[in-house]
Amino acid sequence: MFPKASDLHKPNKPLIPNGLGVIYVLASATYLFLLYYYFQTTGAEVANDVASALVLAVCVLFGGFMGLLDDWMDLRWRYKAFFPLIAAIPLISLATRLPLRTYIVLPFFGIIDFGVYYYFIIIPLIVTIATNTVNQLGGLNGLETICPGIILSGLMLLSGSSAILLAVPFFVWFVLAFFNFRGKIFVGNTGSFAIGITLAAFAIISDLKTSLLVSLLPYIFNSSLILLTYFLFRTKAAVWFDGEKLSASHRRSLITVVAHNRRLTERQVVVIISLLVAASTSLAVLVQLFWT
Amino acid sequence: MGIGDVLSKERVVNGLKSLGKLRLTVNHASLLTFSTLLLILFIAFVIRVLPIKWEIQAGSIHLSEFDPYFQFRFTEYIVKHGFISWNWPQPWIDYQRWYPWGISIAMQGFPALPFTTAFLYNIVTALGVNIELMSFCAIIPPIMGMLACLALYFLGKDIGGKTVGLFAALFLALSSSFLQRTSLGFYDDEAIGIAALIIFLIMFLRAIDENRPQSSSMKYAVGAGLALGYFSAGWGAAYYPIDATAVFVLVLILLKRYSQRLLLSYSLTFGLGLFIAINVPKLSPTYLATAPILAASGVFLLLCVYEISQVLTTMKLKVIFVAAFLALIVGGFVALWQLGYMQDIAGKFLSVINPFTRITSPLTESVAEHRISAWGSIYYEFGMTILFFIIGLFFVLRNLNNRNLFLLILGLTSLYFASSMVRLFVLMAPIFGLLGAIGIVGILRPFITLLKEPPKIVTKRKYSLDYVGKEFSGITILLIFLILTTNFALSPQTGGVPKVYSQAYAPITITVGSIPIVPYEPVREWVDMLEYTRELGASTVVCSWWDYGYWLTVLGNVTSLCDNATINGTQIENVGFIFIANETQSIKMLKEYDANYTLVFTTIDTSGNWVGVGDEGKWGWMARISGKGKDRLISSGFMDASNSWGDSLEDAEKFGNYTLGYDATDSNEDGDYEDDGEIYANAKGQNTTIYKLMTYARDLWLYENGISDSEPTAPEYFEAAFIAGLSLSADDADKYGGIVPLVALYEVKYPSS
Repeated sequence: MFPKASDLHKPNKPLIPNGLGVIYVLASATYLFLLYYYFQTTGAEVANDVASALVLAVCVLFGGFMGLLDDWMDLRWRYKAFFPLIAAIPLISLATRLPLRTYIVLPFFGIIDFGVYYYFIIIPLIVTIATNTVNQLGGLNGLETICPGIILSGLMLLSGSSAILLAVPFFVWFVLAFFNFRGKIFVGNTGSFAIGITLAAFAIISDLKTSLLVSLLPYIFNSSLILLTYFLFRTKAAVWFDGEKLSASHRRSLITVVAHNRRLTERQVVVIISLLVAASTSLAVLVQLFWT
Repeated sequence: MGIGDVLSKERVVNGLKSLGKLRLTVNHASLLTFSTLLLILFIAFVIRVLPIKWEIQAGSIHLSEFDPYFQFRFTEYIVKHGFISWNWPQPWIDYQRWYPWGISIAMQGFPALPFTTAFLYNIVTALGVNIELMSFCAIIPPIMGMLACLALYFLGKDIGGKTVGLFAALFLALSSSFLQRTSLGFYDDEAIGIAALIIFLIMFLRAIDENRPQSSSMKYAVGAGLALGYFSAGWGAAYYPIDATAVFVLVLILLKRYSQRLLLSYSLTFGLGLFIAINVPKLSPTYLATAPILAASGVFLLLCVYEISQVLTTMKLKVIFVAAFLALIVGGFVALWQLGYMQDIAGKFLSVINPFTRITSPLTESVAEHRISAWGSIYYEFGMTILFFIIGLFFVLRNLNNRNLFLLILGLTSLYFASSMVRLFVLMAPIFGLLGAIGIVGILRPFITLLKEPPKIVTKRKYSLDYVGKEFSGITILLIFLILTTNFALSPQTGGVPKVYSQAYAPITITVGSIPIVPYEPVREWVDMLEYTRELGASTVVCSWWDYGYWLTVLGNVTSLCDNATINGTQIENVGFIFIANETQSIKMLKEYDANYTLVFTTIDTSGNWVGVGDEGKWGWMARISGKGKDRLISSGFMDASNSWGDSLEDAEKFGNYTLGYDATDSNEDGDYEDDGEIYANAKGQNTTIYKLMTYARDLWLYENGISDSEPTAPEYFEAAFIAGLSLSADDADKYGGIVPLVALYEVKYPSS
């Protein structure tokens, strides 16, 4: 049913069904449509003629679609990186009509009010950053599913009544993450783009931009590292698999930093990075709850 | 051969069998295409006539908004007096509008729409169908909208096959700006303009198609010329197709894709089109000297130069020719400039190119449809189809044949124009639909091929994914379907209601008393008022703000001072002055026009607060527009120099910075003005005529409904003749969403001295 891809970090490189993220996309869209129909009052309220559940559905669908395009069309990264800007459009429309804050509260910096630039610069920026960085950290079983899941749970914890928007998507994602971690499936680009956009869209809808950015710190670190080494030295990150364990001879991405000069199993790497993300997410939760 | 042979069994059977060959052979695919197209057209028509619900309740079908009444009056004249009567033997001047000068319809109106309607109406009545002209006019836009969708199907079919045609037709049918301007009663230029534009594109693209025989090219070029002429005679936006085509041909020359066929088709199409255009009195031969048309002629010259330079063989001849040509151009340009033929482009269109030029003119600015559109409205308008539009551009770019090149130019220019003027969204709708359809079909094509046949489609993938399964392509199609669902069925922009539905299911302006609500039954106040004025006689002069001019003339059958045609800025300034000046000043100005009545429209809620839909929301424009004539009004003694006002926003605030007659200061600086004592009366504002006329009607309603005890004081020189809405009780107002519309007609009582 699903196209197969080989798992590079297993001894005999078995073929594993890929692209199961589409299940997440379809389940979330269906759930959000139903939510809009039956529970317009809880979190999915229609205020000023904007239905947040539907906005989220549009974004998730768009993310999935983008992933499919990525799987199928030969687009260069430099174009693909700006694709999420389209997904920002419904969010901008929502934000201008809902009374959302146009400022960001940053620890140490205090309140920064962007005014109208919030809609046209900050929102597109958040969507682009979240989507691309999430898409860039992957390649190990469980990595591209568990870490976004942790961030998602952190955001849901903070969001209050809006959390209902993600109840079913969250559950579906964790089922996928379970199988992904055990090496049974891949979610593919469809999944990683969709979850990236979910994070960004949900953070904007429930007004949790700072928390999202803090949670994403390991991701941002990873992407900066990859981009910097690529632009400065024209080198790409690669982990070396010796048939049993992973190791790396350089520090050009988060994975290689973790596996640098020490042999670790795939699971160990995934667990370490997940713990990092969990730490940043907890930090985000603490900052949101106690600092602001 | 005997009769028995002729009727032999074999011959009869064979004869019958050959009859069977006459049967239409329809295959499954074309049957499906045909029924889908029919369904799309059916949907297109049905959603466009949704407002008929209120019209049936109201008893007669009206036209929506204001401008359609201009077209209606023109049509009515043609139906009554014949097709050439409006311009021959002498131009018809309508003295019931813009009193006392009247308005020359020939110089103001485009005849294509009235001609088309009058022609069709004559046929329909000749067939014995008894239908009112106004109802007939009201139904023309939905029909034309449907025809435009059909035409777009054929254009799409030419460009990318039947599927593209069907998608494009569907997108156009559901495009909200196009829907708005072709819905029941929107009897205006756009109704035929878009259809003509699409037909022009079909014809012109076929005319320059190298795969067709020369003779067929010529036929299509003539057809394109006729369509272009029809467009120019029907809508001022004709500059757009003319110049887009000119740019397209210019790019073709630059890409060295010149062909004789191009020269021939271009000259034939534009020659014929412009020949028709200059015969329209409003355009006249000076049309040829306007900058956009000169640009098109320039491209024609270039084509000629190219052709000649191909004929010339020696270098010397070429040099001589080019030098002579340049000298001719420069000389001609200088001559035209000196003779003053290079007239300015009409202000409206200039403002599209430079959005900032318009800011100085409050007259153009006060019309919502001429305002600069916010970029956000593009999303509101097109939703996530923006995505497919961009992908469509990508596919078009990947295969730049002549057709796709034209499409690319149209797509980019229409995007630019639409983002600079709200009204031009409608021009973009068909092109957007077409590109969106190309995007969707381009993406889906490989997946559909995959669904039909089992071969492997190899995709690139970093994890070396080698082929995609059938189910996977099914999911892609489902995903695209869901994205389209959020666009057309569950639109987040309109809170989940289908965008089309929330746009189309709104009653016609006058049937709903000019208040923006969707009630269960028609709001009758305006209709009542116009029935009242019909008794006054056609020569009665009624002074009102320009918005109501058409209604008063066409439906109320009285003479009005100004209307949406806005042909005479001075007169509008004067009318603004009548309303915003105090009573003594107003009466002097009214005397100039010998006006018998004054009409104001105001909307209040049941406790007497202004709602803002009527003139209480328009007084700011009245102040600013009349302020434009400040110097003239002072020198002619109407305006007092010590008590004058100009056309800026600050000047308008002299009459009240909170609302008319009220100022507000945020004295405790809490960011809102709603606290006690922060709003106080503004004497200058409360002395204006419009304030007195509106408050008298309001106070009278409050008094008669027992909400207020104090008897209202009547204005000095104005006596209420009829106030529609006065009999409306507070309970009745609930069905209007708590809004009480008051249309007040005052008889002017001139002082005897």
